[in-house]
Amino acid sequence: MALVVGVALVLSFPTIAPNPYILSAGIVVLSYACTATAWNFMGGFTGYVSLGHAAFFGLGAYGTGLLIRDVGLPSFAAWLLAGALVLLITIPVGIAALRVRGASFVIVSISFVLILLLVFQGWGSFTGGSDGLVVPRPFPDMLRPQHHETFFYLFAALLTVMLVVWWLIDRSRFGTGLKAVREDEDKAQALGVPTRNYKLVAYVVSATFTGLAGGMYALWFGDLDPIFQFSIMLGAYMVLMALLGGVRHLFGPLLGAFIVGTGLEYFKLEFGDTQFHLVAAALLLGAVVLFMPDGIIPAVTGLVRRFGPQESSIREVTAAELLERNGGTSPVPQPGATAGSDGSRTTSEAAPPDPNDEEDPR
Amino acid sequence: MTGTLLFQSLVLGVLLGGLYALLAAGLTLYFGVMRVVMIAHSAFLILAAYLAWYFHEQTGIDPLLSLVVTVPLFFAVGVGMQRLLITRLRPVTLTMMSVLLTFAVALFIEGMIGFVWSGTQRRIQLPYSGDSIEFFGAQIAVVKLVAFGLAALSLGLLYLLLKHSRFGQALRATIQHREAAQLVGIRTDRVAGYGFGIGLATAAIGGTALSLDATIYPSLHWHWIGPLMAIIVVGGLGSIPGAALAAMVLGIGQSLLQVPLGTTWAQTIFYVALFATLMLRPQGFFGGRLAQRF
Amino acid sequence: MTTTAPPAARSLETVGLTKSFGGVHAVRDATVTFQPGKINALIGPNGSGKTTFFNCVTGMIKPDAGSVTFHGEDITRRPPHRIARAGIGRSFQLCRVFPRMTVLENMLVAVSRSRFRELLKGAHNPEEIDKARALLVRVGIDHLENTEARNLSYGQQKLLELAGVLMGDPDTIMLDEPAGGVNPALIGRIGTLVQELNAEGRTFLVVEHNMDMVMSLSHHVIVFDRGRPIAEGTPDVVQSDPRVLEAYLGV
Repeated sequence: MALVVGVALVLSFPTIAPNPYILSAGIVVLSYACTATAWNFMGGFTGYVSLGHAAFFGLGAYGTGLLIRDVGLPSFAAWLLAGALVLLITIPVGIAALRVRGASFVIVSISFVLILLLVFQGWGSFTGGSDGLVVPRPFPDMLRPQHHETFFYLFAALLTVMLVVWWLIDRSRFGTGLKAVREDEDKAQALGVPTRNYKLVAYVVSATFTGLAGGMYALWFGDLDPIFQFSIMLGAYMVLMALLGGVRHLFGPLLGAFIVGTGLEYFKLEFGDTQFHLVAAALLLGAVVLFMPDGIIPAVTGLVRRFGPQESSIREVTAAELLERNGGTSPVPQPGATAGSDGSRTTSEAAPPDPNDEEDPR
Repeated sequence: MTGTLLFQSLVLGVLLGGLYALLAAGLTLYFGVMRVVMIAHSAFLILAAYLAWYFHEQTGIDPLLSLVVTVPLFFAVGVGMQRLLITRLRPVTLTMMSVLLTFAVALFIEGMIGFVWSGTQRRIQLPYSGDSIEFFGAQIAVVKLVAFGLAALSLGLLYLLLKHSRFGQALRATIQHREAAQLVGIRTDRVAGYGFGIGLATAAIGGTALSLDATIYPSLHWHWIGPLMAIIVVGGLGSIPGAALAAMVLGIGQSLLQVPLGTTWAQTIFYVALFATLMLRPQGFFGGRLAQRF
Repeated sequence: MTTTAPPAARSLETVGLTKSFGGVHAVRDATVTFQPGKINALIGPNGSGKTTFFNCVTGMIKPDAGSVTFHGEDITRRPPHRIARAGIGRSFQLCRVFPRMTVLENMLVAVSRSRFRELLKGAHNPEEIDKARALLVRVGIDHLENTEARNLSYGQQKLLELAGVLMGDPDTIMLDEPAGGVNPALIGRIGTLVQELNAEGRTFLVVEHNMDMVMSLSHHVIVFDRGRPIAEGTPDVVQSDPRVLEAYLGV
């Protein structure tokens, strides 16, 4: 139900948007949603935080632009081919990044953006350097509002494809394996999950979708600058959006993108190019990491459930049931609990020690 | 490339490598004690440079003296950061979440520097700024020598502290095996806090050294964090001698490559080394068990 | 579910296995043969290298020297997932489950085949789910299948871990301290499960400190001291071996 309303709202946005500026802001927010959802193929499933996904956005954007300008491909063929190129580039990068766990992944991901920024700025004859690269428009005879409207739907379609793929993976055994990597990589491997290959596939899928979002952006915006396409901030926004909404949920990144994207557009409008947006983004990111690492969706559903009737009683029922079933093998010995036929149960159950709060044994 | 030019680049490379070595030692120290990739390290570096510049601007005294304030201040901030921020994170996701947290700190510092001192480029003018001495035909700026001296001295002190003090022993034990260190009675939490403080103190010293010789601006830290992170991977995460050695080698390499390739492309040596290391020897050249697992 | 291979083909053995950390030899030249189809126990004082040995066999740690043979095949230095698929399942010392996945999802992690098309099939593959549910019934936590694993008690997590290992159909199961941190009643339950599973033809290798459990459960005991086996035999024989007493008591 909520889904239908959401889809209807998104689809009708171009008609209800009061002016082209608002519509273009809507496109920016949708492109953010695309990147955050694409990021979430890696970040959400495997728990590996990439701060450098802007690299793939930039590669997709520049790839599309250069293939149109230098090879003369039709716009959307260039877009698809650029996506394929990002896929190929990601494989060796992913292999290097995933050779060792965690920390070096982060380091490689950031380094990759920084190196591409250097290369694209330094190699002016090929990329246009700091002067930028103008990407020919795919629909030259369209007027501006029409152009915006078309791209709004194109971005929405791309986002839909990503959401469907994410949903499919979430339900698959492959997705279960990836989530196991996120929860406990050693354990997953000991159960026969080829963790490195799984991570690599997730990384490549994530990067390719990010590249496609970048290419789409290039076709829409038409003007690329290494400073903006290979910006570490863009990668940070992807993380912030996904985390804010909730990385373990299909619509988490979308929700986060809506909030952060709208906020960013507002800041741009109100304060222009000050450093305010950096401080605001920093504070928000810090707050999310410290106080709400699971994001808004679980926080809200948790709140709803707390005031709902059943959740509070689940644990004591199950523990007591276990007691009945196994004839007193409940691992938490409870002097007050009886497994009698009258079904008497303890009214309160001490929370079992959570082994995951202990020092990481690794 | 003439012999003199080559020699000049080599000397400059050594001088640059010294600064890299000090900063990379700090960065690898955080990782060692807490398994944290401290993205904000270079932001603190730039902050210290700004403080040195501001100190000089306000008082006219040599910026080196700002160390008296910034080193203890940064040490305290480091301990506080470990105590109040890092330890709040869940151990299971510590490495990933701490990256985001320190990233947020870096952005915050960058934003606040821009807010307080604006985005204008700053540079300290000292009476000896233009001076240079001749060293076997190579012209070496005095400020670079002072910066190197400061870095080398601090690195030497750090080495003595780690090698010959009880605290250093506890710190090394914590880096090598946290649980075992706890078992023999080391209060690893406290040690990790001090480790963080020392790491930030290296940023304070490095920043002051940097301010003597560099034009600074708020987003400059991004130019530093990439090379520094590459250095600690090449050296082996958590290994201080590895970081120092890798810093020296890559600093010299960068300096030598600058002549034929220019500054932009010379920087790529760090990233090339990073990828090569991960492909050939993922635990780094001096990393042990620790680096393999993270 | 039971394997029909002849017992002789199911042997797991190590030859000269060695691993050191820094200057410390955790495992030194360990040559051990486990008896197929039996419950083997690995005991020894703290720090005698049992867990390191265990980790070398399952591929979590790469040994410095020596070899591990399983089914007559050299599996030394293979990645852990390959070893798991070859038929060696394991539990962890501090019980490890996937905390933010439901009990049923936990069960579906184990992968016995790696065909990619298989993986893209929905997780709601009825065959697998039926198998998972049957195992959950067997260990007695089937009523919790939709609960996130972090909300289980420690004992329930131990049972879940064992059930999850069984999903991969291993013919050799290595348990690292199955009795650690659980109450006596549950120790009994786990012991019974191990015996039942052994009766179905699975070989067990149990690292354990709880001597009562070891002596009542196992057919074959191997005693480790300072990184290598010093004695082996039936529980009775091992119990009266002077070298074992020496290792334990330091006399």
